[in-house]
Amino acid sequence: MLLEVRDLHVEFRTRDGVAHAVNGVSYEVDAGQTLAVLGESGSGKSVTAQAVMGILDTPPGRITGGRILFQGQDLLTIREEERRRIRGAGMAMIFQDALSALNPVLSVGDQLGEMFVVHRGMSKRDARARAVELMDRVRIPAAAQRVRDYPHQFSGGMRQRIMIAMALALEPALVIADEPTTALDVTVQAQVMDLLAELRREYRMGLILITHDLGVVADVADRIAVMYAGKIVESAPVHDIYKAPAHPYTRGLLDSIPRLDQKGRELYAIKGLPPNLTHIPPGCSFHPRCPMARDVCRTDVPPLYEAGEARGSACHFWRECLHDH
Amino acid sequence: MTTEPILQVSGLVKHYPLTRGVLFRKQVGAVKAVDGVDFTLGRGETLGIVGESGCGKSTVAKLLCHLERPTAGSIRFKGEDITNLSGRALKAVRRNIQMVFQDPYTSLNPRMTVGDIVGEPYEIHPETAPKGDRRRRVRDLLDVVGLDPDYVNRYPHQFSGGQRQRIGIARGLALRPEVIVADEPVSALDVSVQSQVINLLARLQTEFGLSYVFIAHDLSIVRHISDRVGVMYLGRIVETGRDAEIYDHPTHPYTQALLSAVPVPDPAAREHRDRIILSGDVPSPTAIPSGCRFRTRCWKAQERCAREVPALAVPAVFRDTAGPAAHDSACHFAETLPSAHGTPGRAAPREGANGNGPG
Repeated sequence: MLLEVRDLHVEFRTRDGVAHAVNGVSYEVDAGQTLAVLGESGSGKSVTAQAVMGILDTPPGRITGGRILFQGQDLLTIREEERRRIRGAGMAMIFQDALSALNPVLSVGDQLGEMFVVHRGMSKRDARARAVELMDRVRIPAAAQRVRDYPHQFSGGMRQRIMIAMALALEPALVIADEPTTALDVTVQAQVMDLLAELRREYRMGLILITHDLGVVADVADRIAVMYAGKIVESAPVHDIYKAPAHPYTRGLLDSIPRLDQKGRELYAIKGLPPNLTHIPPGCSFHPRCPMARDVCRTDVPPLYEAGEARGSACHFWRECLHDH
Repeated sequence: MTTEPILQVSGLVKHYPLTRGVLFRKQVGAVKAVDGVDFTLGRGETLGIVGESGCGKSTVAKLLCHLERPTAGSIRFKGEDITNLSGRALKAVRRNIQMVFQDPYTSLNPRMTVGDIVGEPYEIHPETAPKGDRRRRVRDLLDVVGLDPDYVNRYPHQFSGGQRQRIGIARGLALRPEVIVADEPVSALDVSVQSQVINLLARLQTEFGLSYVFIAHDLSIVRHISDRVGVMYLGRIVETGRDAEIYDHPTHPYTQALLSAVPVPDPAAREHRDRIILSGDVPSPTAIPSGCRFRTRCWKAQERCAREVPALAVPAVFRDTAGPAAHDSACHFAETLPSAHGTPGRAAPREGANGNGPG
């Protein structure tokens, strides 16, 4: 297994108390596989990824439990030096906002080349040549000229390609893409997702795609993990989950998508609001919003039940949910 | 819906001049944000405007609400030309066209209470509500948008994004307008909260007989709420028609590409989607291509497209047909796609075909 996250817990100290951002998340990704982590803001999807990358802000954040095994090695126990080597060469991250993730006062060629100078000890000249090659790979037109340009001289889609080039520079085994196309227009989003999928196949990378977009997930993922209030509430192969969700939250998300035959009628809406992470409801954290909630849901925290082959659902009534659909 | 139009927009243009020099300012060009937009909005109707960033859809919203002055063109409200009104006459019209903004985090003043925010329109238009009655009206408005009227003394930061958007909607309703211009009203909200706000907007429309101009980039939400849809590209509407005409029978290549690029939430459709991937980026609105503005990214472009600006009208090939393809489309080579978007599965293989021929 390329990456295994085991029972990860992360909390943040805030003025209003301790925010429980990640509460026992486990997932795994194999080489060549795409795992989509789906969730709304505050679900803990990005915080989990930051913990895996080792770029969590500490303080205020703190990992209070769990293990992160990358190629069998526990990243939470190794020295920072070793961690730094893995970050970049072993795993890389693509962020949502390329403009703020790139250094505005360095040319893109320098930023791409830096990866080879630092990690591979290349000369500046060789590094520059590799930078041009990379820009070519992610299909930036006239790469040899544009290598001297600065981030602000590129369009949003082109900047995101540069981020992808940077993430892939050292051919990492794992790439984490955090909402890589959310800031882009649909026609550009399609270009970027296609490119990412092609490169993933070619390098046989493991890919964790963090998103809130059910459409993007359906397009590229092999597996989905749905997060709510810092927990994985459902985890399944992509086809299964769209065919019949085994958790009422997943079902609510799918039902909220406007459908043609519902035009002119009310859209399905999950009632209420996502919980405040400093005061997560007892029992199942989704129960105040759940149409299926019963007494047991208010008191007993549901484990991740085995709900079929390679499927898990953290709902006491997953069977009902599955068959109701 | 063939009702009397409440808004008529024709030839609307907004150019922002680009100048050079400090002492002798010289105009060296213009950002052509809106470059000739026409549409009508019927009473009680919802017109959806879709397009990608930079296409000018938000500028159209600002022009409709008189937050910007158009460079050319006219806006008529119930038949009256309101384009160049000023002073008292403008104020009276503005009351009837209100806006709901995209970002509920920055469009509410953090130092004002919810009651003051929702009641502020009454300060500006004191004739609409007697002073003693305003508090009650504000409480009513909060109730209408699904917020607890006892929240009047709270501040925006005490609310979630969805609740803030409800506050923005309550403010928009305060003066009982006839038209609401909503610029990306749900795009800053989480998926589970988006449908709540969409349902609210739909309910208010029936309750108050509102007409909406609904601007968004999310095509499935626009289809759900709109009666008619206009697709904008680089400052112009390139195709417009009833929602089913645009979504199921698009004839403009840009609309076709846009629709095909939207990810479908169905993994089973993954293998047989015919996606049109456009090359390149949208040109800068300071240098709009000659002729058809989409030609630089269009796979059908020919010499004629560089020469002649295509008019927004029913294309000649469809003029004598009554089918859904007969709607306005600004393309010289308008045609429907061989297989409609969203139809799962490719066309069945023809008998005798070996599968290698062009599709």
